[in-house]
Amino acid sequence: MLVQFLLTGLALGSIYGLVALGFAVIYKAERVFNFAQGILMVCGAYLAYTATTQLGLPFPVAVIVIIAAAALLGIVIQFLFIRPLSGQPLLPVIMITIALSIILKALIEILYGVQPKPLATSLPTGVLILGDVRLSQLNLTAAVVSWVCMGVFFAFFRFTKAGLLMRATADSHEAAILSGVNVNRINAGAWAIGTILAVIGGVFLGQIQLASTELEHIGLLALPAVVIGGLQSIPGAIVGGILVGVIEQLASGYISPKARDVFIYIPLLIMLLVRPWGLFGNRELGRV
Amino acid sequence: MTSVSTSRTAMPIDEFAPSAPARQKAAARPLRWLWLAVAAAVLVYLPFVLHDRAILGYRLSNIQLLNVGLAQLNLTLIAVLGAVSLNYLTGCAGLVSIGHAAFFAVGAMAAAATGAQLGLPFLVSLVAALIAGAAAGVLAGLPSLRVRGLYFVLSTMALHFIVVFAFSEYQYAAFDVFGISYPQPAIGPFALDSALKWYFFLLPIVVLCCLACNYSLKHREGRALLAVRDNEQAASSSGIDVRVLRLKAFAFSSAIASLAGALQAYYLTTVSTELYSLNLAISFIAMIIIGGMGSIAGGVVGALVWLLLPSVLTGFAGELGAAGGGLAKIFVEHRPQVVNLIFGSLVAVLLIFAPGGIVGAARKLTKLVRPGAEA
Amino acid sequence: MARCADGTHAARRFLAVAGAALSLSLGFSSSQALAFESPQDGVYEDRIDWGVTGDMSGPAAGSQHPWVKGFQSRMHLVNEKGGINGRQINVLAEDTRYDAPSERIAYEKFASQTPVLGMSGMGNSSAQTALVPMINRLKVPVVGTYTTAKASVEPTNPLIYGGFCGFKQMAQVGVGHFANSLKLDKPKVATVHLDVASGVEFNGYMDEAVKKLGGTNVSIPIKVVAADATPQVLALLDAKPDFVAIHGVATTSLLVLKAMQQYGVDVPSFAITYLGTPSVYQSVGEAAGKNYHFVSCFTPASAASPEAAADLIAQAEKDGHGALQDDINFVAGWVVAGLVAEAITEAGEEPTREKLVEILNDGFELPASGLSSKLVYTSKDHEGLKVLQPIGYDYATKKFKSFGDYADFEQYVN
Repeated sequence: MLVQFLLTGLALGSIYGLVALGFAVIYKAERVFNFAQGILMVCGAYLAYTATTQLGLPFPVAVIVIIAAAALLGIVIQFLFIRPLSGQPLLPVIMITIALSIILKALIEILYGVQPKPLATSLPTGVLILGDVRLSQLNLTAAVVSWVCMGVFFAFFRFTKAGLLMRATADSHEAAILSGVNVNRINAGAWAIGTILAVIGGVFLGQIQLASTELEHIGLLALPAVVIGGLQSIPGAIVGGILVGVIEQLASGYISPKARDVFIYIPLLIMLLVRPWGLFGNRELGRV
Repeated sequence: MTSVSTSRTAMPIDEFAPSAPARQKAAARPLRWLWLAVAAAVLVYLPFVLHDRAILGYRLSNIQLLNVGLAQLNLTLIAVLGAVSLNYLTGCAGLVSIGHAAFFAVGAMAAAATGAQLGLPFLVSLVAALIAGAAAGVLAGLPSLRVRGLYFVLSTMALHFIVVFAFSEYQYAAFDVFGISYPQPAIGPFALDSALKWYFFLLPIVVLCCLACNYSLKHREGRALLAVRDNEQAASSSGIDVRVLRLKAFAFSSAIASLAGALQAYYLTTVSTELYSLNLAISFIAMIIIGGMGSIAGGVVGALVWLLLPSVLTGFAGELGAAGGGLAKIFVEHRPQVVNLIFGSLVAVLLIFAPGGIVGAARKLTKLVRPGAEA
Repeated sequence: MARCADGTHAARRFLAVAGAALSLSLGFSSSQALAFESPQDGVYEDRIDWGVTGDMSGPAAGSQHPWVKGFQSRMHLVNEKGGINGRQINVLAEDTRYDAPSERIAYEKFASQTPVLGMSGMGNSSAQTALVPMINRLKVPVVGTYTTAKASVEPTNPLIYGGFCGFKQMAQVGVGHFANSLKLDKPKVATVHLDVASGVEFNGYMDEAVKKLGGTNVSIPIKVVAADATPQVLALLDAKPDFVAIHGVATTSLLVLKAMQQYGVDVPSFAITYLGTPSVYQSVGEAAGKNYHFVSCFTPASAASPEAAADLIAQAEKDGHGALQDDINFVAGWVVAGLVAEAITEAGEEPTREKLVEILNDGFELPASGLSSKLVYTSKDHEGLKVLQPIGYDYATKKFKSFGDYADFEQYVN
């Protein structure tokens, strides 16, 4: 039973990690604590619904369309909502992401209706049996895709020029501006990446259950994940996501589903008090 | 970490000093009294207008009264308590908390234990809520001794989930699954059994709390806290004990929020754990940002906008839908969604074009119109 | 004028008469002005205002929104046929957003702000429980609730009338039917339910129903916001039930069914009425959905006789809700609007809130219409629809199928 919980938690946590990674990329670039990450994930589920069920696109084409649309969405959001507030303190920026999630949710409900939509893509849906352990192939695919995405973005930040620029800008806006980097473009890029990651998570979660705006609340589990891992840290977001997934499974399995939140947020509180920069983050200002 | 990002994580600095030069104050005094009298008259007459749906005998249509009713006004007054107390915390101690829904829950629990379980009088259970809120506030403020900014916000969010879990365990163990039912509140022989009575009970409480927050902000303690907020190191080197001050501010703010929670619970007669959602917690932050951070007026205005605007929009959306036209079908079919869309967009526009909130924008406007006048 | 909403009925009557007299004397009247009016009851010469509350946004909107649409569609039909006693029915729908304070605001609004003759809906059982004292004070009758909280019907309240299948009967019919058809002597049952008020309540009724047969019931809670049901299904594997009862929202029931299939838990299951929507069946797929049923006092259009469903289907298409016609919640809203129309008709030419209560409280019956079981209110029992039947889904024809008549399942209800 324990092995089962750990593996299911790992698979589920990988999706959280993916969404958390998107969250961390946006935070790292612009210091925007993005409460809209959950609703961006929901957008992914509905984009997939449009691409596959409504437009009937073949799956590989649909994937490209979804990713392109997500990138565009991220850039538009950054341009319309975040750029005008650049330089503002923490709270108004948090608030605008909340306003953004209200707006996106309303738009989705107007366009698609409030009833959840069944989402079916050609991803595998069978069961993988390993001894006593059974894993849904869909969850497994989600985990694998998550890991591939994480790998891709890790390589992107480490080895490509654009990735290096992004990291440099995140470390020091001033230095980046002085050396002639177009910070706005870099930030738009970060939003595009963050949105793509959330949307991929949403496509999987939408298929694991239904495309509905209620997925938003699952997306918000990325929030503690990213804090436990370290707001500034990319590997931290991934590890944090997996931790949240595993804790969720163990708490629901051995204690009660209701206890889930407590078992996620008590470690979070302890982490904040003992090591506010997270498991993997760098020590930074933010303490008294 | 660079200076740029530090200033972003740090709390906003309010550009408006809480007190204006005394010279101007004296000049403005007669006018101020007049305004106060008008405001008091409006506040006293307003509930009768909303109750009778008429002004001086002239019947008004629902839309002329902006689709607002007395129940909404009462719930708004309770929300004002929450927003003002949060703004007190933000304004003077530079701390923001997502824990305000949790303090509402603490107040409801204290009222449940004293009022519903022990059967103590209504006013006693309100005092119990105040005390429980202050105690919980000190606990919740402890992380502020170690972390600040975003990290502190997150610690209060963790706290929110822990308190809500406790509430749900308490509710299920001691009460019905449908929620905790409160007895009919009464002050001595006077039962609070109508919306009008509630209004005239809540109004003085709200006014008192606003005055108390204002007083504290403007006097010794508040000034010390402002000094802490603006420059912590300078403040502590001049002999202010930052930690105690901050905890005091937190206790004061939480006590008011907890009182509001107890009032809300009694007002709704039955509350269940689902009421204390993260959305409720976030809504208080939304209120103070919309109204304007750091001032009492900001809290009041923000709560009014957050609670009443959706209803006003719903009223007008209904009129528009009934009027026909191209967009009418969307209005009729998706009215709640359209209302949310407009509401979200208004908040976004406000944040972009009036970063100081409505009160901030209004002050800028008055400065523009009457240079030199009191801001 | 509106002060009388809090006052006595005598005062209200007096004011109504005085108002009518005034309008006469001011010469606003044509011959039609002689028609009865009672604005504080939401009754006007040419229309009656009727209130509806429901979650049209928020987490419960997926099921409550179709209900409101079903209600509105039926009233459109009533109005197109000339209304009731010459009056059109004007439905005022308020969105309650899964929020108890909103429900309170809406009810007070219906009492005096935009007065209505009566109201329907009120889908949140906690909010409904909280409102009972308010209903007793403001006296706007609630006819046809979307869920019936215990506090609303125990003790019987002359102002509140159920309009949905009760959790108790859902448990009784589900347990009775499956124990019977699987020929179980002492059934072992597992109930997967949300850890909210209604879920705990349903599980309690399951305990009762199973115990009556000498069996055992295991409670397996799940969170509303769940991304996975592995722990629940492992608990199911542990319990080895003969059949499973599911209380939840569309997403949780879907997760449970998929996980059951994944772990090879191949036992029949039945869900609460609210989950009877085609989208749940379509997204679980045939393999996991063929053994899944729901118990209901409403019949989805595709399982009903063509004559019974004809009006509903035609009107749903006309109003642009074609996709909802097989949604059990849409049907439920449709049926409740029919109940309301019937009650208003019986209240006669001069309907008031008081008269409406009189009509309903004295014993009121609606025969089974083909879209629902028989509805009965007596002065001691306001639950209304008490007989349910299990319904399944035929993947080949994409239609719901019932397992007999409502009468066949009456034996399980008490």
